[in-house]
Amino acid sequence: MEMRMGLSVHIIRRLLLVVPMLIGVTLLTFTVSRVVPADPLAVIVSEKAMDHPDIVAAAVRKWGLDKPLPQQYLYYLWNLAHGDLGVSFKTKRPVAQDLAQYLPATVELAVASLLFAMAIGLPLGILAAVRSGSWIDHLARLISLLGASMPPFWSGLMALFLFYFKLQLLPGPGRIDSRAVAPHTITGLYLLDTFLLGDMNAFADALHHLILPSVILGWFTLALVCRITRSSLLEVLRMDYIRTARAKGLHERVVLLRHALRNAFIPTLTTLGLAFAGLMTGAIMTETIFAWPGIGRYAVEAAVNLDYPAVLGTTLLIAVIYIFVNLIVDILYGVIDPRIREA
Amino acid sequence: MKPVRLIPVLIMVAVLILHLAACAPKATPTPVPLPTLVMVMNMDDVVTLDPHHAYETTNLMIHNSTYDTLVEFRADDLTKVAPRLADRWEVSADGLTYTFYLHPGVKFTSGNPVTAEDVRFSWMRLKNIKDNPAFYADIVADVQVVNDTTVKVTLTEPSPAFLAICAAPAMSIVDSKVVKEHGGTDAPDADQTDKAKDWLDQNSAGSGPFILTKWTPKAEIILEANPNYWRGKPKLGKVIIKHVADPTTALQMLQRGDADLLDSLDVDLVEQAKADPNLQVVIGQTLNQNYLAMTSNPELSKPLSDKRVRQAIALSIDYEGLIKALLRGYGSRAPSIIPLGILGVDPAMTQGRNLEKAKALLKEAGYEKGFEVDLSYGSNPVRETIAAKLKSDLAEVGITVNLKPMEQSVYLSEMRAQKLAFCFGGWTPDYLDPTMWTDYFSYHDRGIAKRMWYNNPEAERLAKIIGTEFDLAKREQAIKDLQKVLMDDMPFTMLYQTQQIVVMNKAVKGFAYHPVHFVSFFELSK
Repeated sequence: MEMRMGLSVHIIRRLLLVVPMLIGVTLLTFTVSRVVPADPLAVIVSEKAMDHPDIVAAAVRKWGLDKPLPQQYLYYLWNLAHGDLGVSFKTKRPVAQDLAQYLPATVELAVASLLFAMAIGLPLGILAAVRSGSWIDHLARLISLLGASMPPFWSGLMALFLFYFKLQLLPGPGRIDSRAVAPHTITGLYLLDTFLLGDMNAFADALHHLILPSVILGWFTLALVCRITRSSLLEVLRMDYIRTARAKGLHERVVLLRHALRNAFIPTLTTLGLAFAGLMTGAIMTETIFAWPGIGRYAVEAAVNLDYPAVLGTTLLIAVIYIFVNLIVDILYGVIDPRIREA
Repeated sequence: MKPVRLIPVLIMVAVLILHLAACAPKATPTPVPLPTLVMVMNMDDVVTLDPHHAYETTNLMIHNSTYDTLVEFRADDLTKVAPRLADRWEVSADGLTYTFYLHPGVKFTSGNPVTAEDVRFSWMRLKNIKDNPAFYADIVADVQVVNDTTVKVTLTEPSPAFLAICAAPAMSIVDSKVVKEHGGTDAPDADQTDKAKDWLDQNSAGSGPFILTKWTPKAEIILEANPNYWRGKPKLGKVIIKHVADPTTALQMLQRGDADLLDSLDVDLVEQAKADPNLQVVIGQTLNQNYLAMTSNPELSKPLSDKRVRQAIALSIDYEGLIKALLRGYGSRAPSIIPLGILGVDPAMTQGRNLEKAKALLKEAGYEKGFEVDLSYGSNPVRETIAAKLKSDLAEVGITVNLKPMEQSVYLSEMRAQKLAFCFGGWTPDYLDPTMWTDYFSYHDRGIAKRMWYNNPEAERLAKIIGTEFDLAKREQAIKDLQKVLMDDMPFTMLYQTQQIVVMNKAVKGFAYHPVHFVSFFELSK
């Protein structure tokens, strides 16, 4: 009874904290984006059209650029409460629509990268800890070093050159074959959509195209997961209660699974949570190399073009993702470690 | 006895299975009767495909293939306007009234006939939406529907550039009925009331050889053939334009056969492309340039306000070296900012580097010891190289250049606010008429001349002739004279005019480079 209440209170407290965090975020980005020394008109209206007062007036009218700043911000917050993130200066479409368009591609890539990082990183980290000092430990260290030091724009190009161009083992850039037609949009996640539509050829094509970018993007996360799992597990394996468990005569596998891993997993969980949020937002290089239409590229272009609504909208989305992911990680802490629930 | 590590093994097996599943046979596209052309390019610039809103570069190519204009410039002769939707036209003696006779029997892809009313609607919608390309129709005072196939256009003033403006994709003729069905309007308040943009972003309402069927921003554009095109059936069934930002990868796709056409190859990759027996390389002369601008305002820069100093600077730059280093030789230079290919521009008049003359001019102006000046520009890798080269070139005559890179939008803002003394940037034409340059670089109250505080009544007088004179010989003479004035005042000097390196599969036939809309898909076959 007590434990459950502890967890519920914890969750509610975290949820309530979200609102002031978001307002703080929007206020910060709004202020920053207005302090930059450039005229937003320069983005909306072209060089030659600037000489035409009608066009300039229409633009000022439409975007409220003549209103005082605090009023512009309040207008923005009001729209936000109604689910309206404003209209992008560059694309002239609702920012929410732009984000909805590019988000699924990034989600698909981020999830695939995370799964890859976990699938290789976790077992590798565990093995490296359990067989500390052996060849597998050295191999794990090498793989992690490569992942941490290779920039994705370099490794991505190298990988494409080797696997796509020379060896012709894997497909080129894009989410699907260049001559194929994109699947009908249900969620925007190609793997899910093709599966739901029963088009297994397209499913295989999409999966095939996902391999290279998710490996390149996920490699850094793999390195993190591997090293942190290894060091955390090593530390736990040195603990007294592990020695006790072994002394009791328990099978090594049981010691590992029931006692060691569970305790060692907390730091790894934290890493995975942060990594996923990072994968969602930091995939700019990978998205560019592999022609992946995600929000990373959208965010960079919005910043470069001083596209205020898009900048604010994307920042808000990223903040929401981080907050949400942290919330999930916090809940999982409570599930794994009873001590946290009662805090 | 070592216990089996079950979980790690299971995970690795799962990964293996997943990979094997992925190695399933690739998706086979549904067979089409006519070939599909796949083009790769960087299409980040596309923000809309509504011809009355669009003002970027890629849309010019799309609109040229999905819509018809009244007239056009064909790739094989860029100096003369050729008939397209209009079979012929008459110009009144005072140059204010044009009567266009439309080709009879032309239909939009919807089946609706192309009529004079569609012409009127299209140009009025362009004007009244008041977005970036609206200025094209500024010169149109009134459009009258005489009958279904006859349009009478009255201009605000006589202009030799008008027919060239009619060839611009923004002046495309759209299907007024279909556009209205989707919320479009040509009313004076269209900038507030028109609702057709979203639909036009994903569909074309034109009479052109291709139909726009899909645009996924930053990903792809799909065009399907219009089998009832009035000039004949297209030889391609479908055109898929894919966004690939990285030039190396784009070339790899061509070499692998995953793509057929690449619009612009990096100069570093030309040799690799030429070496591939499956590919052909075509060099196109663009009308795009990078120019260096110098202020005439002594408050912004005392040295630069002296035209002898500006001339000296123009004579100090190692243009050949710049073109060789930056463009691997794929560039050229015109005598002034009016590019090669335009009426009256003679490459023989181009002045290159002359350090002795430059130093003499500086001495005469009293700057024998040189001076310091800030060079402003919008930063990107190409411009950083240009800036570094300019700095080292000018150092040879004693001028110390302080580089001031800034973000592109900031650069544009500062420039428009007339704050920059010494800067460089690019210029691309909207339509193929000399006024595209002479109007923006000659009048003290307009365009780039205004931004650089350039004021010379003689330049304005000549620009006015160019803008109003219909006699070709008189126009040409005025352009020649204006070039001389500009070369004497030297408010701007052209750094280089670019060439575009186009690569395509050898199987692609019929390609002809066009400096405005790049390619006409109607002419291509595979």
